[in-house]
Amino acid sequence: MKRFVIPAAILVAAVAFSGCGKKQTASTGTTGAAKAKWVIGMSQCNLAEPYRVQQNKDIAEEAAKHPEIRVVFKDAQNNSETQQNQVKEFAQLGVNLLIVSPKEGRPLTKPVADAYKAGIPVVVLERQLVGDQFTCLISPDNVQIGREAGKFLVRTLGGKGSIVELKGLMTSSPAQDRHSGFMEGIKGSKLTIVFDADCAWLEDHARREMNSALARFPQIDAVYGHNDPSAHGAYMAAQQEGRGREKTIKFIGIDALPTEGVRYVRGGILSATFQYQTCGKEAVQAALKILGGERVPKLIRLGTRIYTKENVAKGGEKL
Amino acid sequence: MRLRRRSVPCKQLSSSRQGSAVLRLRRTKPAPDEIAGGSKQLGGQRRWTLDALDAYRGLIAFIAVFILGVIFTPRSLETGLPVFLSLRTQLDILYEYSEYGLLATGMTLVILSGGIDLSVGSVVGLCAMLFALLTIGLGWSMAGAVPVVIVAGLAAGAVSGTLISRFRMQPFVATLAMMVAARGFAKLVSGGAKVQPAAERWYAFKQGTPHFFRWMTQSLPGVVLQPCTILFLVSIVVMAVVVRYTTYGRRLYAIGGNEEAARLSGIKVGWNKVATYALCAGFAALAGIVNACRQDMGDPEAGFGFELDAIAAVVIGGTSLMGGRGGMMLTLIGVLIMAYINKILSLNAVPIAPRMIIQGAIIAIAVLIQQQRRR
Repeated sequence: MKRFVIPAAILVAAVAFSGCGKKQTASTGTTGAAKAKWVIGMSQCNLAEPYRVQQNKDIAEEAAKHPEIRVVFKDAQNNSETQQNQVKEFAQLGVNLLIVSPKEGRPLTKPVADAYKAGIPVVVLERQLVGDQFTCLISPDNVQIGREAGKFLVRTLGGKGSIVELKGLMTSSPAQDRHSGFMEGIKGSKLTIVFDADCAWLEDHARREMNSALARFPQIDAVYGHNDPSAHGAYMAAQQEGRGREKTIKFIGIDALPTEGVRYVRGGILSATFQYQTCGKEAVQAALKILGGERVPKLIRLGTRIYTKENVAKGGEKL
Repeated sequence: MRLRRRSVPCKQLSSSRQGSAVLRLRRTKPAPDEIAGGSKQLGGQRRWTLDALDAYRGLIAFIAVFILGVIFTPRSLETGLPVFLSLRTQLDILYEYSEYGLLATGMTLVILSGGIDLSVGSVVGLCAMLFALLTIGLGWSMAGAVPVVIVAGLAAGAVSGTLISRFRMQPFVATLAMMVAARGFAKLVSGGAKVQPAAERWYAFKQGTPHFFRWMTQSLPGVVLQPCTILFLVSIVVMAVVVRYTTYGRRLYAIGGNEEAARLSGIKVGWNKVATYALCAGFAALAGIVNACRQDMGDPEAGFGFELDAIAAVVIGGTSLMGGRGGMMLTLIGVLIMAYINKILSLNAVPIAPRMIIQGAIIAIAVLIQQQRRR
């Protein structure tokens, strides 16, 4: 019996391995099943957030329109070091272009700079690296989005009221920017933030924090969620409270993914959501230009759109 | 530390009636990495061949993984050469797993003593933060910062160890508490932001990070390996010697094999446990320094979930979670197997879902093999 265990185990491992390996080569064609002129490596920092899933989807959809390119995706599972490794691996593989959606700017600066110096163009999405050793950065403007959110609440509440702010992970720059932008937006009005909490972008954290806010403050006029799930979680908490406060409080969120924020606005859960573009389509377009020998600007800033009950059917309104 | 020859707890055990349980256990089931000595005492051809197989089992598994890597290597789009077989890839594998390797080294000690340490991932985060704050923020020299960070790690481990030995908490619970608390401390030290140059106005470093950060992560001229990798390799080899040849090492096996018998035979179980958890967290502190150097900043979220990889590496190597059986060299093989599997999957851009399934299957298979061996 004993004698068979190791070979059997190794066999099982080998079969499991080869099965996956083969499926992989078939789907991404690493060995060149489908002849594409250019191979693009895409390192995504994690696929746990819906926003990032959508980003990958947008890239894949846009790339599917162009048979001359093929995109190989890797998921760094929210670990900067894994992402460093992936950038190195892509460079070693000799891809024609790199798209990186960094978890954090600084750790990726060096591997990206190494690839860039070795002649591989790098398109960075969303997060600024240190220095300028990359080809192009495509990014929405979180400060602007936060400011617009603030102004929207000033308008709808008539310049005064109590606000609950459910923040994203405050050690990350998007959350810091969404907060500082919002503070700019409400400056000069009588809006006050009566309660705020770091909800790490997570709906169930937001729901819990909102429960505390509801218990402490009889009068809440609006909830500003740093992302749509937070705002949605807050709505659910208010609904669960059973005093009908979900109807009087204005809930606003950010991101406006078709599967989340926009749907919540349509359903009357959120008063407004502000689009944070995934950059996916723009990334592929920029990549094609670079590969075709055209020059692209170093920084491509993407605007935002507001979705409210009135304009959601028309696809929002550009701000 | 005294050498084994001088105090020889095992021989003392054999003469004391109470300790004989430990000895019997160890006689019939020798730790695989000491089979050469153990099996000679036992004699018996059949026993010896099985033991020999034991010793090489990990190595065979590793070779199998390596062959898989050779078969499934992608080829460079420029040169057409297999990427997996390049020297750079091989060195990268060690470098990329040096942090997990350091954690697994400490974890092996704890697991040999029959415990578990869930807090190492958080201690990595805490120590990475502390190291970045002292060097980037306050501008300390490495000679000051490194010892302070290591002491912080040792202290965290000593607290867990004390909770376990003095207050009789289960290791799982005590280190779970430390896991949560250390993460909290990491966030406290961070002041709510990642520590990188110019993140705060008063930081000593405004532009780049200290030279040490770069030095740790770049291959040394002439040696090829990076100091991070060397730190891991030296640590695991030193601890392999400690575990095999020192009194402390023998006591670890005795405590893990049968704690009560070890206590009755005069081993200070409490102190040894505190020392073991402190050492484990000390290695986590080293991993924290490596982490800060590799990330080029201090991230309070660093090391999240690392404890699971460390435990998996130890288990895949063949050290028993029940304690008292296993060894450091087995862990080295376990770390290598994990590192190579990860690299092969990553090189082939295997999506996360099947990758996690494969990793789970491999851990299960490794444990199955272990159980088979025990019969």
